[in-house]
Amino acid sequence: MTTTLEHTTTDAAPLGGGLARRQNMATALVGGVLFAWLFWFLAHHFLDASSRNYSDLVSVSLTIGWIIGFWLGIGALNAPARWMMGRDNTHADDMYLAGQNQGKARYWKYCTDHKVVGVQYIIMTMVLLGAGGILAMAIRTELIVPGNHFVDQQVYNGFIAVHGLLMILALIVAVAGPWGNFVVPIMCGARDMAFPRLNALSLWTLVGAAGLLLTTLAVGSLSMGWVVLEPIANQAGVGMDFFAMAVVVFTVSTTVAGVNTICTVLTMRTKGMTLARLPIFVWGAIIAAALGLYAFPYFALVEAQTIMDRTFNTSFFVASGGGTGWLQANLFWLMGHPEVYVILLPAVAALFEIASVMARKPVFSYRTAIAGMTGLAGLSILVWAHHMFTTGWAPTLGGPFMLTTELISIPTGLFFLVLIGTLWRGNIWMKLPTIWMFGFIANFIIAGVTGIYLSDIPIDNQLHGTMFVTAHFHYVFVGSVLFGAVAALAFWYPKVTGRFLNEFQGRIAFWLAFIGVQVTFLSMFLSGLRGMPRRYSSYALIFEHTNFITTVGAYMIMAGMLVLLGAVITSWNKGEPAGPNPWHANSLEWMVPTPPPLENFTVLPVITEDPYNYGEELVRS
Amino acid sequence: MTTSNKKNPYRGMFLTWLVLTIAGVIVSIYAPSRLMPRSMSDNMHLTVLTMIVFSVAAAPVAAGIYAFAIHALRHWTHKGEAVPAAGPVVRENAVVVTTWLLVSTLLTVFLLIWGLGALAVDNGSSSKNPLVVDVTGQQWVWSFSYPGTHVQSNELYLPVGREVEFRVTSDDITHGFWIANMGVQVDANAGTWTTIHTTPNQLGTFDIRCTQFCGLNHAFMVTQGHVVTAQQFTTWLDSQPQRA
Amino acid sequence: MNKSKSLGVALASVLLGGGALALAGFALASATPHQSALNCVPSQSSPNTCTLTLSTFPDSLAGVHGKGGGPHPDWVSYSNDNLVVPANTTVNVTIDQYDSGGSLNNSFFDQVMGTVGGTATIDGKVVTSVDPTNVGHTFTLRGIPGSGKNIFVSVPLPADSNTKQVTIGEGQYTTPVVVQFSFKTGSKGVYEWNCEFPCGGSREGQFGEAMSTYGYMSGTLTVN
Repeated sequence: MTTTLEHTTTDAAPLGGGLARRQNMATALVGGVLFAWLFWFLAHHFLDASSRNYSDLVSVSLTIGWIIGFWLGIGALNAPARWMMGRDNTHADDMYLAGQNQGKARYWKYCTDHKVVGVQYIIMTMVLLGAGGILAMAIRTELIVPGNHFVDQQVYNGFIAVHGLLMILALIVAVAGPWGNFVVPIMCGARDMAFPRLNALSLWTLVGAAGLLLTTLAVGSLSMGWVVLEPIANQAGVGMDFFAMAVVVFTVSTTVAGVNTICTVLTMRTKGMTLARLPIFVWGAIIAAALGLYAFPYFALVEAQTIMDRTFNTSFFVASGGGTGWLQANLFWLMGHPEVYVILLPAVAALFEIASVMARKPVFSYRTAIAGMTGLAGLSILVWAHHMFTTGWAPTLGGPFMLTTELISIPTGLFFLVLIGTLWRGNIWMKLPTIWMFGFIANFIIAGVTGIYLSDIPIDNQLHGTMFVTAHFHYVFVGSVLFGAVAALAFWYPKVTGRFLNEFQGRIAFWLAFIGVQVTFLSMFLSGLRGMPRRYSSYALIFEHTNFITTVGAYMIMAGMLVLLGAVITSWNKGEPAGPNPWHANSLEWMVPTPPPLENFTVLPVITEDPYNYGEELVRS
Repeated sequence: MTTSNKKNPYRGMFLTWLVLTIAGVIVSIYAPSRLMPRSMSDNMHLTVLTMIVFSVAAAPVAAGIYAFAIHALRHWTHKGEAVPAAGPVVRENAVVVTTWLLVSTLLTVFLLIWGLGALAVDNGSSSKNPLVVDVTGQQWVWSFSYPGTHVQSNELYLPVGREVEFRVTSDDITHGFWIANMGVQVDANAGTWTTIHTTPNQLGTFDIRCTQFCGLNHAFMVTQGHVVTAQQFTTWLDSQPQRA
Repeated sequence: MNKSKSLGVALASVLLGGGALALAGFALASATPHQSALNCVPSQSSPNTCTLTLSTFPDSLAGVHGKGGGPHPDWVSYSNDNLVVPANTTVNVTIDQYDSGGSLNNSFFDQVMGTVGGTATIDGKVVTSVDPTNVGHTFTLRGIPGSGKNIFVSVPLPADSNTKQVTIGEGQYTTPVVVQFSFKTGSKGVYEWNCEFPCGGSREGQFGEAMSTYGYMSGTLTVN
């Protein structure tokens, strides 16, 4: 790549013609539906309708058709096809693919510009969180009083799994998706990601997976948690096949994104940007990406095995055929525990960045931050069976897993050390990102401590499978990760839009969400301590007061999120204008104009120091 | 920021930490047994005690975080709209990092030793002649049978003071056998047996709930158990219909 | 944007969003697949007594699921999944059992449990248990968890081995086995009942499909 930009004005019909240039989300949807129908028709025609596996086989075929058609429709397969035909992309083709001169239309297309992909991830995160949030409100509305008055058990039980997976997917991408894409390449001094087309592929594959997951609700009959344990997953209707295929497709998206992030950071840093001069957020992004590359293949594997048990009569998890449900649980949690750190690490790393900028101090002990994140990621692959303490599997391994799980509290504690050390005696600028960061700090200690309770086997024997567990991980996901994600959004929003996220609305949203989280989940701890299991559609009278309070709190969180949504939408075009560096920060993304031009830099910068030299002489202007 | 103010945040912060810690310790000692179901077994007592110990250990840590946050918000925030000046440049502090690591490691090791000890006590089987109860979970009913008799029942009867060993299995999918008052929980898995044991030490009635999501009526897979005197237990056994 | 305008936007967000959510919620809530209620018929002779009449069929063609047997014409089904009875009442239940059967997978359910007198009347004969190798379905009712009273009623319904043909709706059956029993209801609430002799499709336990779907082998008993 040259260091100067060449924008040729000759319009030599980029990409060779009209069809490729007209591909967008609409053609993707059409392609997906068309091929889904085609594969359904073929399966329906050639398979024996009376066989027990018929409906599962047809469903799986349909989902495969959907994703192939979706990819074809969005233009994901154009580049490999052109390559096979010997038609390499010209520079004009590449610039066209990057969205040059296409205005707003490029956000609906297979656009390789990492900044466009970042904004598309913002939208996808909000869509997934919104859909999951609607289900959360349905669940809490049902649980406001004992008995089934709002929806019945059958409908309710179907909500739980889809709410779970929607939120998990939303949080996996919540910080790494928008900011891992928009900001990380610029922070490294690169013009784009290492593999720009794969970047677009990861986003559109996520859209395809989301389509499958949302369809599950319509197809129905999925009354198990998002963990889809076996053998109960065998009892589910065809919704289970859609659910499992959504996971398999999602794994493709996240693997591609992870490879892209790591390669970008390792190979495309600009001159002088040594690893030690990287902003700490970039470290968080690649550690999380590496952990995800380790963990998510297990997820695809276990869901593929579930599909095989349902469609091909294999017995991986069926006891009567020689298998065991314990295998599914192990494989799932081998993914499931590292995965929560894949979710947490980008949020924490973003908060390290925000703390430094807002307190006007360097990150305290940059090395400890890296050691903590790396240690956490490494240890996290050794703790998975703490989710299985009560399954009766391998009781002798209880002690070792207790050891590794309790040890994880040490690197987690280091996160507090770095945050506290960075904020200590700083000149803390109380803007929106800072406020949400303090919310994270207050919530994360509760999340962490309650996790330590659960890591102890005698306590876990009492509290496993109760609402205590649900409250613990909601303190992690809602109280901590979501607050970190909103802080990151408020922080980088001016770089994307050129405007501040409305400060007043953001504060209203903060207080509603913060108080809401305490009301909702502290009362939920009480429900669990008193003896209420989780995934209950109805409950005994002794739990009615705590549940009522929990639902009231949930409505508060919902109100806060709605205010936040309104702020994001209205500030985009009407917010208070912000310059290119409104926080007076030093990392490279603030050194480029807002919005950053295509290819980011007119001249690639040469780096001589890290971005944390507040109070030290500013070498870079 | 004047230098005289710099001393205050630390004293105030320490006092806040102290007050929060004391409050936390008091709550930790009194809350667990009141928030959890009435203890009816020996290992439930140990579980509640473990909750107390863990809460007492957590109280100063949580108090520290909150004391810091409160004082940061009171004393270290920049007032006004202009960009704040740079704060003091502190990139490393080996003493702080080492101390933090040491304290967190010691705390973790202590909790681990306590936990392993409690686990050993729970797993140690004291009686050579426990009462064996076979527990079968089926969607969505628990049934109990007493080997050596021909009794099968939907409700669980246990004699007080005698160690009971539950052998748990499932006829279909995975269920979670849980007695909240006794701190016992183990999954019921199809095709295999899991065991867990405890000694009931209080008379009374308790609930048995399923904790592993098992389909449509998971929330209704609840039944009752009764801890009775040995005499009442024998009477009950004899009164049950004899099955083949 | 000044503060009052910001506040206005915030309020609008909550109201608009909340309204949209409420709409979505009501749409979801109306997705309940229950059939219309079958009310317990009060007895003319005894106070605090009423009668429920149900049937169990080997398919869904008897008419309750609409023309053609609804979306799953081959699924076994009860005639109604939405039973309504008054509180503190003795409920007399008559079940006409039209389906064939087999061996119970869990012999626990061959006993009559929780009924008045601990017995049931099958084709006129009073019994406390049935042959576990020849059961069609069960009627198993469980109470509201944590209401203080553990209600558990389970009556096995023997297989129908009669030969005389009978037509109901679009279905061809043979004359039923008639099972009668009584139980007492307690406090108000919604109780769950289902058949505990699984025959759904999956390999591990067979509680999927008809067993877990309202309108077939699972239902509610509302006590009010």
